[in-house]
Amino acid sequence: MFGIGLPTIVGGLTWSALLSLMGIGITLLYRTTKVPNFAHASFVTTGVYASFTLSLLGFHPYWGILAGFILTGLEALLLFYSILEPLRRRKSSVFILMIGTLAFDILFYGILNIYADYLQTVFKASARAVYLAPKDFSIMGIPGIMFMSLGMLVISVLGLYLLLNRTTVGIALKACMENTALAQTIGVNVSLMLMLSWFIAGGIAGISGALLPMYIETSPDIGVLLVAEMFCVSILGGLEQVYGAPLGGFLMGFAEVVLTSWLASEVGPWIISYTPLLPLGAMALTLIFIPKGLATIKIRRREG
Amino acid sequence: MSVWSDIILFTVDLLALFGVYLIINISLNIQRGFAGIPNFGLMFAIAGGAYITGAVATRLALVMLGMHTNLDPIFDNIPVLSKVDPLLQSQSLTSIALMIILLIIGAIFGAILGLIQLGPAIRLREDYLAITLLAFAEMINVIAVAYKPFIGGITGVQVPDVFAWSGEYRFYIATAAILVVAAISYVYAEFLGRSPLGRTMKAIRENEVAAMALGKNLVKYRAIAMVIGSAFCGMAGVLWTLYGDTVTPTYHRFYWTFLPWLMVLLGGLGNNKGALLGTLVFTVLDKLIIYYKHSLAGMLPFDVVWLDQVLLGLITAIILIYRPQGLLEEKPYVPKELEAKLKSIEKK
Amino acid sequence: MLKVKNLNSGYGKLHVLYDVSLECEKGEIISVIGPNGAGKTTLLNSIFGIANIYSGSITIDGKETTRLPAYVISRMGVAYVLQMLNVFAQLTVEENLRISAAYSKVKDINKATEKIYEIFPILRERKKQLVGTLSGGERQMLAISIGLIRNPKILLLDEPTAGLMPLYVKMIANKIKEIRDMRGISIILVEQNVQKALELANKVYVLVSGQIIFKGSPSELKEKHEIMKLYLGVGE
Ligand SMILES: Nc1ncnc2c1ncn2[C@@H]1O[C@H](COP(=O)(O)OP(=O)(O)O)[C@@H](O)[C@H]1O
Ligand SMILES: [Mg+2]
Repeated sequence: MFGIGLPTIVGGLTWSALLSLMGIGITLLYRTTKVPNFAHASFVTTGVYASFTLSLLGFHPYWGILAGFILTGLEALLLFYSILEPLRRRKSSVFILMIGTLAFDILFYGILNIYADYLQTVFKASARAVYLAPKDFSIMGIPGIMFMSLGMLVISVLGLYLLLNRTTVGIALKACMENTALAQTIGVNVSLMLMLSWFIAGGIAGISGALLPMYIETSPDIGVLLVAEMFCVSILGGLEQVYGAPLGGFLMGFAEVVLTSWLASEVGPWIISYTPLLPLGAMALTLIFIPKGLATIKIRRREG
Repeated sequence: MSVWSDIILFTVDLLALFGVYLIINISLNIQRGFAGIPNFGLMFAIAGGAYITGAVATRLALVMLGMHTNLDPIFDNIPVLSKVDPLLQSQSLTSIALMIILLIIGAIFGAILGLIQLGPAIRLREDYLAITLLAFAEMINVIAVAYKPFIGGITGVQVPDVFAWSGEYRFYIATAAILVVAAISYVYAEFLGRSPLGRTMKAIRENEVAAMALGKNLVKYRAIAMVIGSAFCGMAGVLWTLYGDTVTPTYHRFYWTFLPWLMVLLGGLGNNKGALLGTLVFTVLDKLIIYYKHSLAGMLPFDVVWLDQVLLGLITAIILIYRPQGLLEEKPYVPKELEAKLKSIEKK
Repeated sequence: MLKVKNLNSGYGKLHVLYDVSLECEKGEIISVIGPNGAGKTTLLNSIFGIANIYSGSITIDGKETTRLPAYVISRMGVAYVLQMLNVFAQLTVEENLRISAAYSKVKDINKATEKIYEIFPILRERKKQLVGTLSGGERQMLAISIGLIRNPKILLLDEPTAGLMPLYVKMIANKIKEIRDMRGISIILVEQNVQKALELANKVYVLVSGQIIFKGSPSELKEKHEIMKLYLGVGE
């Protein structure tokens, strides 16, 4: 149908799941800390190097999911405690917090590059072009990464749902998202809740990063390259909706992989080089036509 | 080469970089400092100015020199330039005219890009606005790489050398041109800050909620600030391209958006002197790091440039936490007559 | 029970309260009244550890609480019902109550919730509803309940009847008295509605421009015609 083959569908599903995993954390942090987190770029890259390092040490790269979750979770805590908490305590504006995440991202971009160089010179590993798909398993010809990324997405969303609705801590976290001042009055330690949300959001970004080299070639730049797209996924799904990111992720992932592949066969392959415009364009259209639920402040027009 | 000429070349190169960044930072100051636009997509207009130069400079030179050729100025870039450059070298007035026309084109193109970029986002809240502007800016490289007739795809193009007439003083003259435009932008921003328009914009920045009540005016002032700022950014792109007489579609948001932000934050937001100081400190630091990194290279198991990033990230975090107002704090401008009146009241 | 001594506080550089002292015994209702912007909310914020305290001291049962973070003060038995946005609109009524109880010393959350439903039966009917769908009066009852379920020693109420229909004003006023009598809680009641405040209070403080200009019984205040007229807009 439409000349779309099975590999395209598989690719679309995989990419959608990966994008969703990246977007979830951005949305979650936006809901709890109210800050668009630029450090998501280095969170994802950290996940990549977690699984790459493990594979160098002889483990299967999928162990990187666990390592990436923990490591990136800790990285997020570092950001939270070293920069965001001090800023929050001085009642800095959201904008300053945002620049704080940017500063952290630049710092970690440097560190990750140093680490990659180090792996390259010491281990003679190709640490600037990480591609681990040859180590993947497959079921009936379908690469394992599709099952793993979809599986991780389901686990993350389900886990988040259960946490936020079935546990006291989760309900407290939800309470913090809605009204920090009120959550304080009922004895919730808000800073602890924020910390929890940073750990989870960082961890999930780490998972997506750990999975990434099983699907595409990655480098220390991968997070920086993808961060605009991550924001598009989050915004498309609606930053005010915790579960919005997967919606944005699937829309974007399918548009990028399936739509592009179809267009390439119909219009010509030259169109592929324009693919990166898709998420950006989609975001612009979202903002113009369906800004509702996008936390926009509409400026009131004077009547008459 | 003597140490002396080494130092002079270093200084000239440093001043060129300083000048280009000063133009950009002043325009960021106009956008963010005056009108509260968190422009995280500065690169859009800067790259726009650079790329439009690549796209039209050779064509324009052909017209101005009255030359005809069947070759394509983009795809047969080198052969065409090998005919254009020698002729241009002997015509200093035409060269200068070409530069001025390119600056005007760059300013207009930058301003248009700024409006396109701001258009869908103009009513958004600060954080959303920042993300949208950033995402938009990413588009220009996608297009410049994919659409080859623009500036020749990923390899880029060379542009005519408009400073070749100055011979061995080429880099001095080029740097002087950059500094002249930087000085103009600085004076203009100072003037703007004291004008009623500038003060209105600052009022809007101070109180977005109250400004909301102004309704359409907020949109109008944001648009004005964006147009002015983007026009300057476009000119910065033009100058940087002419300085190196080549352009590739590799403008990166780190160098052309984030660095300017860090410089302005270092100096102090909304304050032109601060922008000047921040730019100076950063460019000197940056050049020194590059200058000394060769002596470190080989001693460490990684490329020294990455220490740049680590250092920048650290410095920024430290500024944010310990001196959020920057090196120089913004002072409200009080017109002289008013100041005199206030003093006479105080005396009573 | 609660002692505030020579309190100076505000927000950042904005100094709001000047040398404010206040005392509240067990089982008492203290009313704090005064014009808009006088600093009534700031007084409660200071007690609860939200505002910046420059000097002075606050003690609860003799224990200094002056610079403790809000969640610690709250776990010491102080419940604060905010003036606005005092319920979680995106949680259900029952979730609102349970989350508050969960972060207090209350052991048996089910029993505590049941007790609340006895005081405010309407909340039982609404327990599975999202709070966003409740009426203003119902929300205010829930807000008080969120504080009450924590079994506090001290309840801080910031304008609990503001903007409500008269029917609800009367009902909530009665409930406040009932709560005091039933549980022996100390209540600090900030009110704009002077009549209601005088009717409920054992002691009244009048706060104007960040300073206490009157302290005494409701009947004593009624004698001070100029205060009633000038600052509270009551009387001739
Ligand atoms: N969260 C806050 N941050 C800064 N200033 C505040 C805050 N809340 C109140 N204020 C200021 O403190 C002063 C007293 O306000 P408030 O205590 O709310 O008065 P009241 O409750 O008596 O109406 C006012 O000038 C108000 O603008
Ligand atoms: Mg109040």
